[in-house]
Order: sequence, then C-alpha cells, then structure tokens
Amino acid sequence: MPEEFEGGGDILEISLEKIESLLEADYGISGRSIGLLLLQEDEEITALVKSREPENYKLIAEIVDHTKEHYHEPLSYIISLRRQEETNNILDRALEYQPAIGLSLREKLSRIMISSLTGIPILLVILYYGIYKFVGKFGAGVLVDFIEKNIFEKNINPWVNQVFTSIIPWHLLRELFVGEYGMITLGVRYAVALIFPIVTTFFIAFAIIEDTGYLPRLALLIDRVFKKIGLTGRAVIPMVLGLGCSTMATMVTRTLPTKRERIIATILLALAIPCSAQLGVILSLLAGTSIGLWIWAGVVGLVFLFIGFLSSKVLPGDSPSFYMEIPPLRLPKLFNVFIKTYSRVKWYFAEIFPMFILASIMIWIGQLTGLFTIFIRVLEYPVRWIGLPDKAAVAFLFGFFRRDYGAGGLYDIKEAGLFSTNQLVVACVTLTLFLPCIAQFLMNVKERGWKTGVAISVFILFFSFFVGFLLNSIFSILGVSL
Amino acid sequence: MNIVNKLLKGFKSTGHCLAPQEKSSGGNLDKIAIVGSPNVGKSMLFNCLTGTYVAVSNYPGTTVEVSRGRAKIGEREFEVVDTPGMYSFLPISEEERVARTLLLEEKPNIVIHIVDAKNLERMLPLTLQLIEARLPVVLVLNIIDEAEKIGMKINLGHLERDLKIPVVATVSTTGRGIDVLKGRIEEYARRI
Repeated sequence: MPEEFEGGGDILEISLEKIESLLEADYGISGRSIGLLLLQEDEEITALVKSREPENYKLIAEIVDHTKEHYHEPLSYIISLRRQEETNNILDRALEYQPAIGLSLREKLSRIMISSLTGIPILLVILYYGIYKFVGKFGAGVLVDFIEKNIFEKNINPWVNQVFTSIIPWHLLRELFVGEYGMITLGVRYAVALIFPIVTTFFIAFAIIEDTGYLPRLALLIDRVFKKIGLTGRAVIPMVLGLGCSTMATMVTRTLPTKRERIIATILLALAIPCSAQLGVILSLLAGTSIGLWIWAGVVGLVFLFIGFLSSKVLPGDSPSFYMEIPPLRLPKLFNVFIKTYSRVKWYFAEIFPMFILASIMIWIGQLTGLFTIFIRVLEYPVRWIGLPDKAAVAFLFGFFRRDYGAGGLYDIKEAGLFSTNQLVVACVTLTLFLPCIAQFLMNVKERGWKTGVAISVFILFFSFFVGFLLNSIFSILGVSL
Repeated sequence: MNIVNKLLKGFKSTGHCLAPQEKSSGGNLDKIAIVGSPNVGKSMLFNCLTGTYVAVSNYPGTTVEVSRGRAKIGEREFEVVDTPGMYSFLPISEEERVARTLLLEEKPNIVIHIVDAKNLERMLPLTLQLIEARLPVVLVLNIIDEAEKIGMKINLGHLERDLKIPVVATVSTTGRGIDVLKGRIEEYARRI
C-alpha cells in the first residue's frame, strides 16, 4: 500500500503519535487506543475527548480530518486491515497445523436450513412437531387436562372448598380464596394447572432448538421477508424470544443496531407475537379446528407483516444491512437444556404467580366496590361488536393483567361451551393482538420512553378490536360457519 | 437456587466445572471482566468461575444485561463481570457499546478475552485491540476440543510470546483447562 508511505513515514502512525501527545486527560486506556478510536470517528469517544480536552480538541480534530483525506478508504477499514495482517503474522507462527476445511455434514445441514427452498419445509416441520405437537397437544392438551381434571377438580378444589367453608364462615371473605375468581380456585389453578405445563413444555422445546444453533440460521432464512418490512434478520431473535416471553424479548431489542429497528420490533412484539403460555392455550383452544388454526395463524401473520411494513414506511431511517455471527450446529446438551428450562420456568413462575394472586385480590375488591361490574359492562360493548358472548369480556379484562391470564379466561369459557367455532377464532385472534401485559407495557416504557410506550398500547387497544371486528364481519358476510 | 446448587455440587464431583457459589462480604474486590464475541462461551465461563447460573444459549445477543458474580481463585476473591458480546473495540450495536463502556469505566484488574479456538483468525484482532488499550488481558482459547477435532494444532507458547499475555486453552462446557486458567489468573493478579 504505497499511500501509507509518504515522505518516509506512515501517515496513520504519525497522526496517531501526534494525537497521543495532545491527549492530557486520563481515559483508563492507552492514548493509542483513544487515538485510533478518534481516527475511526467513534462518536462516544469523540464526544468524551471533546469535553475533556477543551484546549487541544480543535487541533486533534484537524489531525483526524487531515489523516482521513490522505486515504481513499475509510480509516476504520485501513486500521482493521492492518490488524488482520498482524493477526495473520502471529498465527503463521503459532498455528502448527490448520486443516483445510471442507464441507462437513454439519456445514451441509446448515446450508439446507438457510436455503429458502429447503429451509421453509424444515421450519414447518420444527413448528409442527416442536410447537404444535409438543407444546399445543402434549403440554396444553394432555398435561393440562391431567392436572386440571385429575388433580384440581377431583382432589384439590373439593378439599379446599371444604376447608375454607369450615374455617371462614363469611361468604364474602370466602369468595376471595375459593370463589369464582378466588386466589386458589382461579389464581393458583391458572398458574399451576394451565400455565405451568404449557410454559415448561415450551421452554424445553425452545431450549433444544436454541442450543442446536438453529435460530441464527432461521434469522438468515427470514432475513428477506424482514428486509421488506424494514427489519433485518437479526430481529428474528427478539421475535422468537418473544414467543417465550415478550417482556424479556423487548429488553433484547437492545441488540438491534438502529433506533428505528428497535421501535418496529417493540411494536410487533406488543401486537402480533403471542407469548408461550398464550400460544399454548390458543393452540389447544384451536386444536379441534384445523381451519380455525390456519385462519388464526394467517390473520396474525398478515397483521405482523402489514404493521411491520407500515411502520417501516412511517418511521424514518435507512433500511439496515444484515450481518450476524453464525455459530456451529451443535447437539444440545441435556444438562444445559434442563438447567435452562428450570431457570426460565422458575423465573416465569416467580413473575406470574404473585400477579395472578394480585389479580384475584383486585377482582375481589372490584366486586365489593362494584368497579368490576362496571369494567365488564364497558368491555362488553367492544366484545359484542366483534360478535362474542358477553362473558368473553371477563377474558379481555384478564388480558389487561397478562396475556396468558386472558388466554386462561378464554379457556374457561370454551370449556363451558359458550363459544361457536367462529367466535372462538375471532376471540383468539383478538386476544393475541390485544394489549401487552402490564410487565411488557412497563418494559416498553422503560426501553422506549413514556410517549412511545403509551402510544403503542393505545394503538393496539383499538387495532386489536378492529381486526376482530373485521374478521367477524367477513365471516358473516361470506356466511362462513366453521 | 437450592436444587440447582445441589445439582451443581453433584456435577462438580464428576469433573463438571460448575462449583457452588461462595459468598462472603468483601468491600472492594478485584474485578475480572469476561469479554468476547457472541457465542464463544462467555456466560458458560462465568458460570464456571462463579458457580452462579446465567442462561447459556447457542445464539448471539443473549447477554444484554451485565451479570455479576463472585469467584474465589486461590486465596483471593474476585468480582466477575460477564459482558454482552463484542466484536471490536469500535462498537456497532448497543450491546457492544455496553461492553466497552464497562471496560472503560470499571477498570477491571483482569480482562479475560475468550475466543473460539477454531476461529482465531477472526477473533484475535479484538485481543490486539485490548492489548493495545493496555488492559490486563488473559486470552482464553475456548472450545479447544472442537478445534482439535478438526485437526487444528495451536502452539500456545508461541502465542504467549508474541502477544506477551497469558494464553490458556479451555473447554468451558466440560471444565477442561479451567483450573489452569484459575492458576494463571492467580499468578497474574499477584503481579498487579
């Protein structure tokens, strides 16, 4: 590179030395590092130096500009090129044998997963067996049935009822524990009989998928679709995590490089990504009607793409380019899967359990003061607009607390035989899109600020019912009866 | 945590690297920061050293928040900090920025740069940047078993001499090399 040597010296090195001698404050790292970062125009460091070197900053900035003009390529490129050269020199000495890496089986498998022709069928197989069969059918079906019917209805509920009837003579107080919305008969039952098996099976499936290294490959696969809506494939990770818990996923949106991507991802997470427990309950609710399941998936998927597309048009900013580290495919380690599932379930449970109990208490107070009835009355209007029975208002009120709690409400209504299949599909779609839970709302506010956080929620409140209304209207206009 | 810790204890005796957490009240502990690009085993190494559990994943971007724990190495107790993934000292994403800010502001006594031994070529530039910044770096070539499996041979002595820092080969999932690493940290800490 002849351009580096002019007048017998390396301009980059000379500039570096000059900058170094001009730095007076202590930065905790070497002046050379600071100098290199300044030359590469790192915003944070530039601002830092500007504030700490009031006298010399102007001179330093001049040197940076001068050096930049000297090279055709960006300085960051030149600098990393040199570093790579140094690395290669060191490795020439230290690497005694570097095998020529051919296409191993792993690599072949990896390519099959990424190519859209073969990748999409693989994705469908994983979704079908990993999520639908294992979480929806086994977790939300078999396990929930067993715990709910055999353990709660046959053993715990009658026993608890009896105990509380004998120790608490006042009907009103008893309602708090064992009533229709009681702490034990509703709160504990939802947490233990409904959410626990679903979340556990989901986290097991998720941990296995995660540890194989499939997710980054999925990201590459979906990158193309995402680019159209202004996101990069990198955003797949928060989205997929969102299937576990959208609150956690909203935090992970921090890994997205631009503000625009972070906001779009936050909206999509709040609107169109159901969380694990909600997903499980919904899959089991719709398990009896495969057309219903397809309609639900289709509508939610369309909303996802539509809103993502719209927000990419409305929110200013460049479409980001995609880069990502692809880890090797690995066989998951049983111990790691186990301990990861354990710690996630534990965390999830610690999160929801107090919330469910608190919800029971608030509903109880609401019933005493009459507020509960008022809320239900108000919610009955939109619920009627989307063609659902009044009773469904309770599920939506639950949905304000948590998505999974709301889904639990739907589960009870379906078990009571109050839904037609049409209504069930409309209810599932609306509740999937419905408001994020309180925790996610708080996270949105924390990560994106008050204005954005509140705006997202208000938008979702109206939008979810609008879609439900639309779907219901389409059903009745076309005379569809599922 | 009890069940996990019990399990961990069980695994310790079978040679697994996770050891029960030691708690003690020390004021200003020496600090060890773990840095490296995503997916090389930072969190697993953190678990190994501290015995506490952070979720370990096979995809980039899992550690967004900084986790902290304590580790007893030799006679000394250290505070161990696990950072979000970092490819270069010139950050592109917010997680990288978090990692760098941590290095700048917390002035760790030891910086463990953990890399995937198979991909030295791509990862060594960050080591060079850390050394250049005059941070007290220990280089850990993790997942050395996978490198060996494909027939790679790395001369650690040469690397140490060229870089002038301690270099250790480990497999953090099985605990291989962790004791050596602890020894090197101890030795290194004595000099600071």
